[in-house]
Amino acid sequence: MPKKKVSTVLAVVTAVAVMAGCSGNAGNQVTPTASQNTAGDATKAPEDTKKEPLKITMMANLQTTDVPDPTIEKMIEEATNTELDIQWVPTDSYEEKINASFATNTLPKATYVGNLNLLRDAIRNDQFWEIGPMLQDYPNLSKLSPDVLKNTSVDGKIYALYQERPLSRQGIIYRKDWADKLGIEAPTTTDEFFTMLERFTKEDPDGNNKNDTIGLADRNDLIYGAFKTVASWFGTPNNWGVRDGKLVPEFMTPEYMDTMNLFKRLHSAGYMNQDFPVTVKADQHNLIISGKAGVYVGSLGDVNALQPKIAELNPSGLLDVQNRVAAPGKEYGVWAIPGYGAVVLFPKSAVKTEEELRGILGFYDQMMSAEMANLTRWGIEGTHYTVEDGMAVDISERATFEREVKPYLSMQIGGISTIEGFLDLKREPLPAKAEELIKDNDNYLIHDPAVALDSAAFNQDGARLQELIKDATYNYMLGNIDEAGFQAAVDQWLKQGGQKIIDEFNASYAAAQ
Amino acid sequence: MRDTAALSEMVVKEKQRPELRRRFIKNRALYMMILPGFLFFVIFKYIPMGGLVIAFQDYQPYNGIWNSPWVGWKHFERLFADQMFVTILRNTLLLFFLNLLFYFPVPIILALMLNEVRINIFKRVVQTVVYIPHFMSWVIIVSISFVMLSMDRGIINELFVMMGFEKVNFLMSTEWFRPMYVLQIIWREAGWGTIIYLAAMAAIDPGLYEAARIDGASRLRQIWHITLPSIRSVIVVLLILKIGDVLELGFEHIYLLLNSMNREVAEIFDTYVFTAGLRQGQFSYSTAVGFFKSIVGLILVISANWLSKKAGEEGIY
Repeated sequence: MPKKKVSTVLAVVTAVAVMAGCSGNAGNQVTPTASQNTAGDATKAPEDTKKEPLKITMMANLQTTDVPDPTIEKMIEEATNTELDIQWVPTDSYEEKINASFATNTLPKATYVGNLNLLRDAIRNDQFWEIGPMLQDYPNLSKLSPDVLKNTSVDGKIYALYQERPLSRQGIIYRKDWADKLGIEAPTTTDEFFTMLERFTKEDPDGNNKNDTIGLADRNDLIYGAFKTVASWFGTPNNWGVRDGKLVPEFMTPEYMDTMNLFKRLHSAGYMNQDFPVTVKADQHNLIISGKAGVYVGSLGDVNALQPKIAELNPSGLLDVQNRVAAPGKEYGVWAIPGYGAVVLFPKSAVKTEEELRGILGFYDQMMSAEMANLTRWGIEGTHYTVEDGMAVDISERATFEREVKPYLSMQIGGISTIEGFLDLKREPLPAKAEELIKDNDNYLIHDPAVALDSAAFNQDGARLQELIKDATYNYMLGNIDEAGFQAAVDQWLKQGGQKIIDEFNASYAAAQ
Repeated sequence: MRDTAALSEMVVKEKQRPELRRRFIKNRALYMMILPGFLFFVIFKYIPMGGLVIAFQDYQPYNGIWNSPWVGWKHFERLFADQMFVTILRNTLLLFFLNLLFYFPVPIILALMLNEVRINIFKRVVQTVVYIPHFMSWVIIVSISFVMLSMDRGIINELFVMMGFEKVNFLMSTEWFRPMYVLQIIWREAGWGTIIYLAAMAAIDPGLYEAARIDGASRLRQIWHITLPSIRSVIVVLLILKIGDVLELGFEHIYLLLNSMNREVAEIFDTYVFTAGLRQGQFSYSTAVGFFKSIVGLILVISANWLSKKAGEEGIY
């Protein structure tokens, strides 16, 4: 009994002593930290009156099939003192969901959208916060490119933060082993391009003595498929071109006609897949992977996905990439996107006060720090990636990465050119070459002069009228209509509202000059 | 004693109430039972109809229904003035009639055939197998047919080549779109459609068949004189209901089949609403187009019902 009593007393004494020691320590440490904070950074709240975490609701695009693992979300919340409520919406239904939330006035505080045009009217009607003048107050947000911000602007005012995208990823991916076998160099002119497709079709490049290959694999997409990139080689403008000081739609230029003629020849000669207007991306990829087609025109980054799959089926299958191709008498050029992928807007219906908005901008400012950017892009160092030569190397399984890290990519703001210390991927030689070419493209960009211009007629009828042109373009390339038929479609376009679109864009263009 | 007095008092009161309310109270249990269904229709079918007013407004979500400006018939005028209007109306009606002509009889024939099968296990297996396509989404069905019909190594075109025929461009032609559409519907829906007919056939009095057999009627005669007349009213009701869906040709299905080469024959109201209206955020215009479509559907249902009553059948109301 007494023995036990003694030990209890001892334990209590020790505990009290330890606690006293701790509190003494803590007291000593806290004071300088707090004073440092108040003195040092006026914008930050002092630690001892630790603010309630800021609640931010957001709707983000889920590009993977699984519900994301919340580990990284928790880490972000901790680092930024926020409480995130992320509603993940699958890519396919994202736009619909935005429309529905908008109609029911339930947009989240941070709303990501891919296409600003849908909301242009609403933005004009003062439904979203203008953030342009505030950006300079944030060390990281102020680094966002003014040019790209201008592309996201509405009537010259900036409402959105953007996710950076390379301006032009377009180029050719082709079967190097086939080209070597037939002694073909990488094409640099449209004629050489045509010859390559012809010989890939006719000269049995896979050496199986069967006439079972074609040159080009294309898909049902006039923009991200081959068409628009080939059009650039001919010098076709990007959606709108300036001719004699006036804006002209691309399909009214002779270069557009040249491009269609090339495709018409390729299609009728059988040098490309016959069903390309209805071929989906997966089938197009399969044509390349299965060794049925040898040339792919589109995003150079796709070589990352294509090469390993080809090698799986055919160990000698080797791809190479190429970008600079030009029609005779033309300079190489390649169409550019406006430099952003998605943007994030702040609806006034959800963000009630400027103070709240400032808080959210502060959150995104922190998200643009190297540490947070790397966390959302690469995951946790040591778990998902390691750093070699200042570049990131994936070390997690693909499925793990897709569940734990990849979804958070759609929250990212800015990108490699605007965030200092943001890690680039350490690549294999071939993808590294593709990346080089994407950078090289930056020197030859064809911009769309109408990106930030506005036309009410275009907003109302643009998409429907564009279908007319799309239909006519396909029908021309398949030989269903001739030049007169195509011209008739353009006349229809003009008559049904196209002329008005041209006039309005030109007025807007003149006003912006 | 007091009880009977109270009771008689109640009876007197009851009699004073109007007849309708008295019946209502008497059958209140039954009325309670229809309440959920009634509420369903009011909440999900009738109240949302109020939203149709946006067809007469320039609706903007942030202004709401109450504050959007009224524009009268503007959106309808735009629809009727549209170059595509005649094409869309023609395609919609034509696809509907093809649907009615070729698809509608198939489940009846299939049900008749299944009904004649003697071996029960065989009948059930076949029934299940023909149901299955109904549970596949249109994406899958259209993808499968694309793979089969493609010009690039599609199995059907490869067969044609082997047999020495020309390749046929099924996917991108105006001629093949309609047959492809109808066949895909038959493939997916025919089995499912047999359920109600089989149920109706199960209810036929076996005595009728016995009597017919004694009179020496063959199997075909029995089908013709007993089975078909017995399910005639079911057929008529289903036909009218089908007409009610007249313009529900399946947005998803057509949208998947639609491409630049067959738009002329494939564009229908639903796909048009999608490209011209919703994708551009034009809610009012989309609503106006949908409204017009519903009115066409309503006219067709009323006339079908009227015709069926003329023909001595029951109709649906």
